[in-house]
Amino acid sequence: MSTYGTPGAGPTGPVVHDPMTLPADDNVNAYTFCVELKSGQWFLQKGKMIAYYGAIEFNGIGHGRLDRLVRTSFHSPLHASDWVVAEGSGRMLLADRAFDVNSYDLDDGNLTIRAGNLLAFQPSLALKQSIVPGFLTLIGTGKFVAASNGPVVFMEPPIRVDPQALVGWADCPSPCHHYDHGYLTGVLGGLRAMTGLGGVSGEEHQFEFVGAGTVLLQSSESLMDETATGAVPAEPGVPGGGVPGPGGHGQQPPGAPRLPGQLGDLQRRFGL
Amino acid sequence: MFRLQGSKVLAVEMTGDAVKAKNGSMVAYDGRMSFKKLTGGGEGLRGMVTRRLTGEQMTVMEVKGQGTCWFADRASEINLVSLTGDKLYVESSNLLVTDAALRTGTTFTGLRGASQGNGLFTTTVEGHGQAALLSDGPAVVLRVSPQYPLTVDPGAYIAHQGNVRQSFQSGVTFRTFLGEGGGEAFQIRFEGDGLVYVQPSERNTIAGDL
Repeated sequence: MSTYGTPGAGPTGPVVHDPMTLPADDNVNAYTFCVELKSGQWFLQKGKMIAYYGAIEFNGIGHGRLDRLVRTSFHSPLHASDWVVAEGSGRMLLADRAFDVNSYDLDDGNLTIRAGNLLAFQPSLALKQSIVPGFLTLIGTGKFVAASNGPVVFMEPPIRVDPQALVGWADCPSPCHHYDHGYLTGVLGGLRAMTGLGGVSGEEHQFEFVGAGTVLLQSSESLMDETATGAVPAEPGVPGGGVPGPGGHGQQPPGAPRLPGQLGDLQRRFGL
Repeated sequence: MFRLQGSKVLAVEMTGDAVKAKNGSMVAYDGRMSFKKLTGGGEGLRGMVTRRLTGEQMTVMEVKGQGTCWFADRASEINLVSLTGDKLYVESSNLLVTDAALRTGTTFTGLRGASQGNGLFTTTVEGHGQAALLSDGPAVVLRVSPQYPLTVDPGAYIAHQGNVRQSFQSGVTFRTFLGEGGGEAFQIRFEGDGLVYVQPSERNTIAGDL
């Protein structure tokens, strides 16, 4: 028996965990999640393991032995280097920069999440790049762990949300942009948006969700660091693919210098 | 008497006794207090020289008086540790307050310290009394026992106490250099009988990117 049964000041001391008392696939506290592995596997983002009991091996996804697993549950080949597979038996603690972590269960469902927020998932789920740039979609049945800046709130559509607070959405509630037209149209609106003069609330642009499903929001507007979702194939019709479709509008490529006399966004606003 | 007020402020009630605290960590006090900077961590000339040489520097003040004194540091989480004759190993940057009765010193940690980016030495706290540790996010206390050895990421380790052996594990293989490493190239393994404190956040270490 261990002599370190009751550290701290008696009953008020900190809780001591050992492999028997650590929760299986549940939170230890709001910032730490414990995964139980019984000769199984989990996918996790590189460097998010903080401690483990037992015999667990961490292998990069490029490891030859894992080829089959990657083929069935990992569909973003181009960002595979950010992910590792934990394999073995024991209990493993996951955490991410003291952000709130939570686990979610999918039952034959789908959920799209901002790439930087996803921490780990069971291989029974398939991870795919979303068509929406910067997001990943999980499909299937299983558990995944996500980090957020502050606790996560679940909302039912129809709802409009702030872009920085959006963590993800489940069951296809049609994500789209929404602009407050009173602020963004007309000469004054354009000037306001460009210069910030005349009062912008910073909330003229939102994401809108309608339809059946769930929207996940974090309770702060500081974004988590972006992680790469991998490049998409450069094909016409692929958002972010970098190839304009045939018969495009000849739109100015982003970043091109604005010629004198051109008003850019304002010009388009007036239909010039 | 140490008492946590919330999780980020430590209140110490004193009746003429003293505590050693990280320099500048006092946020409020009532009663009569005197603050005295202790050169070289209050470990005398030898301690001062050792700390200078090892780079495990610690600016400490002695707080003495009657009343209540509150301590906090950068809104970090504070964890209380009670020592009953055993030894606590902690990074000097994670140590907030100790009872004046506890002896502090430095010890060689070898590769573990280097992998944490904290240098080759660490601070020890020994004796009977209480100490307060800082962590980024509330620390999780994990027990190490002979049948359950524990492996920890160097960036999340903050302290350990008791009779444990630590060994350094490196999983660096040729894959690490191909950029296909396991992401956990350096680990510290604890065996024996004791407690290890880990924080839910990783410091930047040389191992962080491997």
